[in-house]
Amino acid sequence: MSSFIDYTVNGLVIGNIYALLAVGLALIFGVSNLINFAHGSVYTIGAYIGWAAITFLHTPLPVTMAIVFVACALVGMAIERIGLRPLQGSARIAPLLATIGISFVLDQVVQLVFSASPRALPNDLPDWRIDIGGGSIGALDLLIAGVGVGAAALLFVFLRFTKLGFAVRATAQDREAALQMGVNVNAVNSTVFAIASALGGISGLLVGMYYNHIDPAMSFQATLKGIVAQVIGGVGNVPGAIVGSLLLGLIESYGIALLGTTYRNLFAFVLLILFLIWMPNGLFGGRSAPQSEPLTGAFIAPSKPLRLPRWALWAMTGAAFALPLVFGAPYLLQTLTNAWLAAMLALSLTLMAGTAGQISFGHAGLLAIGAYASALLTVDLNAPTWLTIPAAGLITSALGTLLIFPAFRLRGHTIAIATLAIGEVVSLVILNWESLTRGAMGVTGIPPLSIFGHEIYAPREVYWLCLAIVVALALVQTRLLTSHFGRTLRAIRDDDVAARSYGIRLDRYKALAFAFGGFGAGVSGAITAHLYSYINHQTFDSQVSLLALTMVILGGMGNVVGAILGAIVLAGLPELFRLTAEYRILIYGIVLLLLIRFRPQGLMGTL
Amino acid sequence: MPANSNRRLTNWLNRLAIVIALGSGGAAAAFAQAAGEPVTIGVSGPLTGQNAQYGAQWKKGFDLALDEVNVKGVQGRPLQYVFEDSQADPRQSVAIAQKFVSDPKIVVEVGDFSSTASMAASSIYQRGGLVQFGFTNSHPNFTKGGDYMWSNSVSQADEQPRLAKYAADLGFKHVAVLYLNTDWGRSSQTIFTESAKSLGVDVVASEGYQPDEKDFRSTLVRVRDAKPDAIILISYYADGALITRQTRSVGLTQPIVASGSVYSPKFIELAGEAGNGVFTESNFFPNDTRPEVQSFVTKFKARYNEEPDDFNAVAYDAIILLAAVIDKYGVDRTAIRDGLAQIKDVPSVIYGKASFDTQTRRVAGARAVYLVVKNGQFVLWDGKKPNAS
Repeated sequence: MSSFIDYTVNGLVIGNIYALLAVGLALIFGVSNLINFAHGSVYTIGAYIGWAAITFLHTPLPVTMAIVFVACALVGMAIERIGLRPLQGSARIAPLLATIGISFVLDQVVQLVFSASPRALPNDLPDWRIDIGGGSIGALDLLIAGVGVGAAALLFVFLRFTKLGFAVRATAQDREAALQMGVNVNAVNSTVFAIASALGGISGLLVGMYYNHIDPAMSFQATLKGIVAQVIGGVGNVPGAIVGSLLLGLIESYGIALLGTTYRNLFAFVLLILFLIWMPNGLFGGRSAPQSEPLTGAFIAPSKPLRLPRWALWAMTGAAFALPLVFGAPYLLQTLTNAWLAAMLALSLTLMAGTAGQISFGHAGLLAIGAYASALLTVDLNAPTWLTIPAAGLITSALGTLLIFPAFRLRGHTIAIATLAIGEVVSLVILNWESLTRGAMGVTGIPPLSIFGHEIYAPREVYWLCLAIVVALALVQTRLLTSHFGRTLRAIRDDDVAARSYGIRLDRYKALAFAFGGFGAGVSGAITAHLYSYINHQTFDSQVSLLALTMVILGGMGNVVGAILGAIVLAGLPELFRLTAEYRILIYGIVLLLLIRFRPQGLMGTL
Repeated sequence: MPANSNRRLTNWLNRLAIVIALGSGGAAAAFAQAAGEPVTIGVSGPLTGQNAQYGAQWKKGFDLALDEVNVKGVQGRPLQYVFEDSQADPRQSVAIAQKFVSDPKIVVEVGDFSSTASMAASSIYQRGGLVQFGFTNSHPNFTKGGDYMWSNSVSQADEQPRLAKYAADLGFKHVAVLYLNTDWGRSSQTIFTESAKSLGVDVVASEGYQPDEKDFRSTLVRVRDAKPDAIILISYYADGALITRQTRSVGLTQPIVASGSVYSPKFIELAGEAGNGVFTESNFFPNDTRPEVQSFVTKFKARYNEEPDDFNAVAYDAIILLAAVIDKYGVDRTAIRDGLAQIKDVPSVIYGKASFDTQTRRVAGARAVYLVVKNGQFVLWDGKKPNAS
């Protein structure tokens, strides 16, 4: 019983920390309808600015907090002004991706300036503790709680009772209407980013002090937990974000109590999915909340696709097949093989996200299912790879569709968050289901690809095999898109209500799209497993999902040729920038931002 | 002809990479004494991304070793390395592997950092006949990838029984284990548990945690309820420090015994006050009186003006060892593989003298010292048993 109190206290302590993050995210979401993936980066920057102030200027805590507050407010305003304002009027996906690009750039800058190794962030608070149950809480715990609740209360009052607060809420409800009523929408957005980022920076500082540990890689996890917490509380709802955070902390803590530490994040993400399905508006969203969610298709930037003549496409395909005969360098072929494997994934994602309008942030989960299916079938059952690879495709197709099925009725951002969670759940199940997947040890000794006894490992042969699969998948997909099936999917994407009134069964069509897409992703994962001969739960992490999404958007959503092109560019760019060593991810982030800014419909245009 | 022009392009690109590396002052050391065409080691490791700090630590160890080696060079030629950033990502490490294998200038490869990235590339190195020298790869299956996979990483089969022995020597009977849930932590935990049992030490709880975890309060309550008389950490220094700090806040007073991987000045910095009293053992200890250790520490401090840690030491060892093999057996790739099997007693910071077991392609017999943290310093354990509470 005393342990129960301890678990409860611990849950509240960690929930407290999530709350600081979730409040900032909720504020930005409430106004801009945007999941700000750069929020975690601002949090990291706040921690490092605080560290610099304490180390070099020896500032006491209140002064440090003030410095961090001002500096991060400025960073927030800069993000809004430079990164996001120019994207107004483009598709909703553009600012979302821009925040991902900004987070790459900011994290890299922090890493270049302060180095990657973790630093201690000491605090000068009095070292007294209050005993509760078997444990205790300290001054910093109370300060964090105070800042979290205080910030939420202040924001609540600000939004409810001040003139600028009215303007913020008006902008959140209907940007165009607010503009017509004379609200300076840009100033509102700028203010919101300043407040949210200042708060984010303060959280970074306080959390860094709490753990006495800051590092440049802390941003992604922070963003992820913040998003989960605010969805539980009700997206865009500031007080809800606090309650959601505490609830998340409690559930995690009880999860550890029941099953052990390795299940912690599994609990968090399963909770998230349950909420998305049964209470997509969160605890505090309520039914009457204005439906500010975009329609499914609002992610797509309408544009006229660039159509290449058929002979040009065939000529390029021919050239791709002939390439190894002219340039045999294994490094080049390996890089392009990586591009073909990525292209299979991108084709699958462009069908789901572009054509069917069901954006996915967890696509790497499908790769992982395919890879483990084929790896385990060959290693445990000695099945030949020519059989296991198509089998892996089918298994992925079935399992993937089954996993995503409950999320079909979600729209807009919620489906993005749901897929993110599903991707994490797949990875965590692989980690924890040790008897099947060998857990953290991963699967070793996966045999190489072989067809009827002939082993395929020469870079040329692998290259041709992967290219042939990509071409085949692309042809089938193009055929599908021009058929009744493709038109129906696009109809669902563009207006699901209209589609339904025409008697279209939305779920069935979406399931078909996922089944086809899942096959391609599964095959890609399976081939990867046999090429690497070793996989574990980290081989296909959430970074891969983000990369796949970037490829699809870069090429143009729904565009088959675009997906392949996007895969080539994004698998190739990091290799091209290899000479610049430490700076290459920074350059990659900047290139991504420029693309989003100047060609949001993608290189080939949306279809 | 096409293949030839292509090779020329690769060569040219590599030269450019080296020139840039030289220009930025990082990679290859000055080779004033040794003359001629340099001998090149290919390094695949993280310079950006989550694990970038380890790549940075490697570089310091590499550069220090090169300074020393290039006084006379290998076979009269200067030794240098090309560091390719893989972010410890398998997609990139396989491309780097193809690049290295097809580049005739690369005589041996070093890395990658994580098993995920290293073992994905192993089959390429094996087929390409280029030695993959994984000096941080303790995954038990790493060297089983083929006869071109070699490692001087301290094997967990060596390390964990010693940790168990230390716990037993300290007089603990019931311990709780917290381990990093990666291939390294998981295999360490298995070996630890077995050897603890054989020494009469009971493992009463075992908790695995994810590398990016920061909050351990609830985990520690679970540990507390198992009523151990000590807590064993199979952790790296960053997460080890986080756990150590949080033990006090859930009311745990039991002593902590941590695996050698926490040994780093950073552990003390991050754990603060709470670090005092933590027992650990280390293959590398700067105050160790062995001459190999003292010469390394003195040179390292002189060059970087900071205390070296374990990663610096193993990186340094890797280059010294490979230089010895190349110098004695030649710059041919196969000769290097055969040389690794034959070379005996290379001076080593970690092993004293390193020789490979030709069956496992690993080095056995890492030296180790028992340590304890006192007043913010790692000091040799004085043999006093703590009063288990």
